[in-house]
Order: sequence, then C-alpha cells, then structure tokens
Amino acid sequence: MLAPALVIVGGLFGASLWYSVLKSLGYLPFIGQFQITLEAYRNLLPGSGTPASREFLPALGFTLWVSGAATLLAAAGALGVVVVGLGRTRAPHAPRGIVPLLNLTLAFPHLVWAVAIALLLAQSGVLARVLFQLGLIATPADFPVLIRDPYGIGIIISYTTKLIPFLLLMLLATLHAQTDDYAAAAATLGASRWQTLRYVTLPLVLPALTAGMLLGFAFVFGAYEVPALLGVQFPRMLAVLALDFFRNADLRSRAEGMAISVLTGAIVLLVAAVAYALTARRTAGHG
Amino acid sequence: MYQRSLLLLLCLMLAACSNTPAPLAPLPAPAPLDDWERIVADARGQTVNWYMWGGSESINSYVDQFYGTALQERYGITLNRVPVSDAVLAVDQLLSEKEAGIDPGSIDLIWINGENFASLKQADMLYGGWNQKLPNSVLVDYTNPALIYDFGVPIETFESPWSSAQFQFIYDSARTDPADLPRSYAALLEYACANQGRFTYIAPGPGAFQGTRFVKGALFELSGGAEQWRNFDQAQWEQWSPQLWAYLNELKPCLWRTGSAYPATEYELHGLFANREVDYSITQSVTGAGALIAEGAVPETARAFVFNDYMIGDYNYVAIPRNAPNRAAALVLANLLLEPEFQAAQILPENGFGLGYGIDVRKVTDEQDRATLEAAMDRLGAPATPPAELLAALVPDAAPEYQSLIEEGWRENVLIGN
Repeated sequence: MLAPALVIVGGLFGASLWYSVLKSLGYLPFIGQFQITLEAYRNLLPGSGTPASREFLPALGFTLWVSGAATLLAAAGALGVVVVGLGRTRAPHAPRGIVPLLNLTLAFPHLVWAVAIALLLAQSGVLARVLFQLGLIATPADFPVLIRDPYGIGIIISYTTKLIPFLLLMLLATLHAQTDDYAAAAATLGASRWQTLRYVTLPLVLPALTAGMLLGFAFVFGAYEVPALLGVQFPRMLAVLALDFFRNADLRSRAEGMAISVLTGAIVLLVAAVAYALTARRTAGHG
Repeated sequence: MYQRSLLLLLCLMLAACSNTPAPLAPLPAPAPLDDWERIVADARGQTVNWYMWGGSESINSYVDQFYGTALQERYGITLNRVPVSDAVLAVDQLLSEKEAGIDPGSIDLIWINGENFASLKQADMLYGGWNQKLPNSVLVDYTNPALIYDFGVPIETFESPWSSAQFQFIYDSARTDPADLPRSYAALLEYACANQGRFTYIAPGPGAFQGTRFVKGALFELSGGAEQWRNFDQAQWEQWSPQLWAYLNELKPCLWRTGSAYPATEYELHGLFANREVDYSITQSVTGAGALIAEGAVPETARAFVFNDYMIGDYNYVAIPRNAPNRAAALVLANLLLEPEFQAAQILPENGFGLGYGIDVRKVTDEQDRATLEAAMDRLGAPATPPAELLAALVPDAAPEYQSLIEEGWRENVLIGN
C-alpha cells in the first residue's frame, strides 16, 4: 500500500540526498571535477585557515543557541498556559475556541510571522513608534535592538511564538484524552492542585512535550528563511551559511555549502530519530 | 511489492546518474552568425525564453511592453519572460541541465551579472562568438575597458551589453544641504563620526555587489588610484588591505547600529533611508533617485550625488547558454536591446527600467537616433547626478581576484574582527 508513496518520496528525497553527499565530497561534474575527497569537510575544521573554518563553528554554536532557546522558551510557555488552565478548572480542558485559534496561528507561514514580528519589534517598528509617541523613549532608536541583533533575539521570538501553539496543541491532545479521570482520582485522594500538576499532569504530558520539543528543535535547527530575514551577517545560522557558500560565484565553494548542509541534515535526522523513538515508546507503553 | 519498488527506485537513481543523454532528433544546422538575414528568418515563429531577475514590477512591465511588443510585431517572435528571484537560479538550472546532458535546454537568454557570468564561464556553459556579429554591435564601444570586463572577468565573445550603471549615493534634499555632502571617503568618515549612527553601507558579499563596490572605492582612494587595481597583484593587496580594514574599522563605531548589523540589500538600505534612520542610500541607476522615487521607495525630495572620484561604473549584459533551444531568437533579442530607440526608452524613470546606455552615443550616426538619445539624458532632471559629475568620478572595477579577497577579508577583519 505504501509502496507508490515510498517510491516517490524515496526517489525525490533519496536522489537529492545522494547528490548532496556526492557534491559535498567534491564531485562537481559541471566543472569537470570527479575526484571524491573529504576536502570540503576538512575546510570546515577550525585551524584549517579557510573562510569556511572561521564561519562554521560560530554558526554551529549560534544555531544550537537559537534552536535550544526557542524550544525551551516555547515549552515553558506552553506548560504555563496548561498550568493557567489547571488553575481555573482543575482538569485542564482547553477553554472553548482555543483550539481553532491555535490552529489559526499554525496556519501562518513562518515567513509571514517573521515579517509581522519585524514590523512590530524593529527600531522603526510599531511598538517603538508607540512608545515614542507616548514619550516613554526619547527617539525610536532608543528602543532595544530586537530584530537583526547579534544574539538572535528576533529569531528566537519569532520561533518561540510560533512553537507555543504547536506544543500546546500536542499537550491538549494528550490531556484531553485522559486527564479527567486521573485528575478526579487524584482529587478524591486529597491531592492539592500543585500535587495534581506535579504527579499527574506533568508525567502525562512529558513524553508528548519532549517529542514535540525535539521536533521543534530539529525544525529550527535546519531553518533558513526566518534567520535570513531577522538575522545579522555574523553570526549566522547553519542554513544561511550553507546557502552563502552554495551561492558563491566560485562553483568549487558548492562542495563546502553541501558539506554544511549534509552535517546540518545529519544532526536534524538524529534529533528526529530520538523524537520518533520517544513517541514510539510512549505509544507502546500505553498500547 | 515493496522489494519491487525498491528495485525501481534503484533503477531510477542509476538512470539519474548516467551521463549519456537520450538521443535527440537531429536539428537543422543553425544559420551562420555572418548571415543575419537567415538568423532573422530562422527566428520567426520561435519563442525566446528570457530568464531574468523578476523582483521589480516596473522592470517586468517595461520588458513586456517594449521588447515583447516589438519582437512580436517586427520579427514574429514570442517573448517568454521567465522571472527568477535571483539570476543564480538560472545558473543552477543550466548546471543541472549540463549534468543531466539536456540539450536543447530551456533557457535562451539570461540577464546576467558578473558573479553568475564567472560561474557559467567556469562551467563552460555559454555560447560564444556572437556578440560582435550583431548588426547593432557597431554602436557598442568594444575597446572600453569598463565594458569588456564584467566584474573584472573578460567578456570575450560571450556577452552583449544591455545597459550601464554607476555607483552613486542618495541623500534627501529636504534634510541635507547639498553643500554639506561628503565628497570623498575621508570626508565621509568625518561626517559619519560627527553624525553618530546616521550612515551605513550594504554588507559586502555574494549577491550584494553594491557593498563590495563601496569598499573597493575606499581601497582606490586610500591607495591613490583605481588604475593599479585593474590587474591582480597579491603583494599590492597585502600592502594596502591593512589600511583598508583600518579605515573601515575606524568608520565602524560611527555607523548605524555601531556597525554590528548592516543592510543586506539595496532595498533594505532604501528602507532605512526612507525611514530617516540613516542619511544616505546607495544606487547604481543613471536616473539617480528618479526610478526609486517613481517606485515610491524613497521620498520625492531624494537626490543622487557622487564623490569627486572612485565611483565604479560598469555594464550589464545578456548571455546565451550553449544549449539554448531558440538561439536565433535570442540573437535577435540581444540585438534589439541595442536599438537606439529602446536604449533611449530604458533610461527614462517613467518607463520603469532606469539604467544607463549600453551603447556609446558617439557611435550613433543616425541624426534622429542621436537626438533622441541625447534628449532622453536631458530629461532625467533633478533626481539624477549631472552626467559631467558622473563621468568625472567614473572608474572601472578592480580585477576579479579582489572580489572574494574583499568580501572574505571584510567579514574576517571588519565584521567579525575586534
């Protein structure tokens, strides 16, 4: 049953993956280069003195920072919403209408979301102008640099706000399925609101939350468009760096661009595999 | 079933890797380049697939309206303008076609910039021998060094010019008195540090040649001339580059965002300028600020100005891929671009293109054509830099080897360093 889909996905995805790996190994037939070497990967190592070596490690660190921070903040935000929900109703049922609302935010493309964030938070943005009009800051330029800042704050804000609804939907789906009974049982046994959260709700949602966080992390780790839009020229995220090498006028640089992409892809795959294993274990555990 | 599909997949991948092109029906021999009448006859009924940057609606409609109509009415050729977000996508497509052995391909003509031209030359994917065979090539000055080098790469017979451009700055006459404008890099440094955060430039790098060009101008001024940079000389680079980085690092703390962030594109800089975050923007247009005013990207009071020297000027070109399916139609279009009537139309801001002449007006012998071309220049008006000032400051680009030295060196020594 799955075979036709597998052929298409495997053919398209597999072939391009195969080409990426080949090109990262210096196989560039369009300039008559057929030799397989690890030179592009070596050029990424610190100390090799190439432009790529100066850029790769900072980009890796920056990418880890942005994806880690965005994921952790989003998880905290999503849990926070669940806790607030708990505070009101004990059993954390989503307030009526919140699921369609969450779905709506998910429907916004990341790019549109990032542009909206930029319009809102840039030094020339809406918020800076409002604060300026209110006399809270002397000039719009006194507004803190949140967009195109060297710490990736703009990128983190964009992904955090986009990931919260995603994680929240996963949490609500888990909670909706069973918490009523467990929460009622805990209440019957005299659990306080905090104890219910700590011993009932959290263990229930943790596998889904972890899997969702890993997926979010993997997504941000390999992302291009938002870092390209809201980032600075240094440090850059891995995908932006890879494309920059790929687009270099010297076609030989494409090997380095592909090497960065392959390494990024490997890390994303690894994280996705862990997320998958966690989900599978959870399903098996409940099965 | 599963195994069979895996096998099929493997076959597909092997097929994709094979380099033997599928046999094609033999094509009739193309007309010799010396026989223009036959080329025009061959081109009739063809569709010319012109790949070009499609990011400006005004340029798109200029192309369709002027060239599209003329091609159809005069030559029976259909123009298929293929907009791409970056000309490098056309390069990617040609490289893929080469790898897959696809000939005829899908691209007949590309509006190309120096970086992509260098890439395609490196990949040996360009059709050559044609540019000076176009009837209108007599209007082009093929002895002008600024024209026969594209970003420092010799164009040889692979490119024909379309239009020209020159580095200029833009200021807002409603905010800045023209008497206060800096007229050199040294004066710019003084201005920037006296007006903290009111200046920035485009980050040099692939795809942002305007920024690279700004840095090259500084190099020319520091070393006292543009001429010595026409040929590559490593020792000379090592002698002057430390001073270049020193200059830019002195400028850095005075820049917008104290030089921690730079606009990545010309339009981003126009945005900062229109927003009054910085005092100057950068353009390459012969209309100065005119075309940008017409687009609404900058205020109506915007005006162009140049330093007294070292304002790099160059040409932009069209090229024909080796595997172009409609080569005759591409040649006719490349020739049409050089017609004096269209050259005169392309510089006027209201027509939406706004780049300078690809031809040399002095070589136009027809009285009426020449009058049209000169009248068009006169109509550019206040937003443009006066032609005499442009010419006085004009220098050609540096040798191509400096391009990546500057871009990588800037990242290492100015952006990342200290």
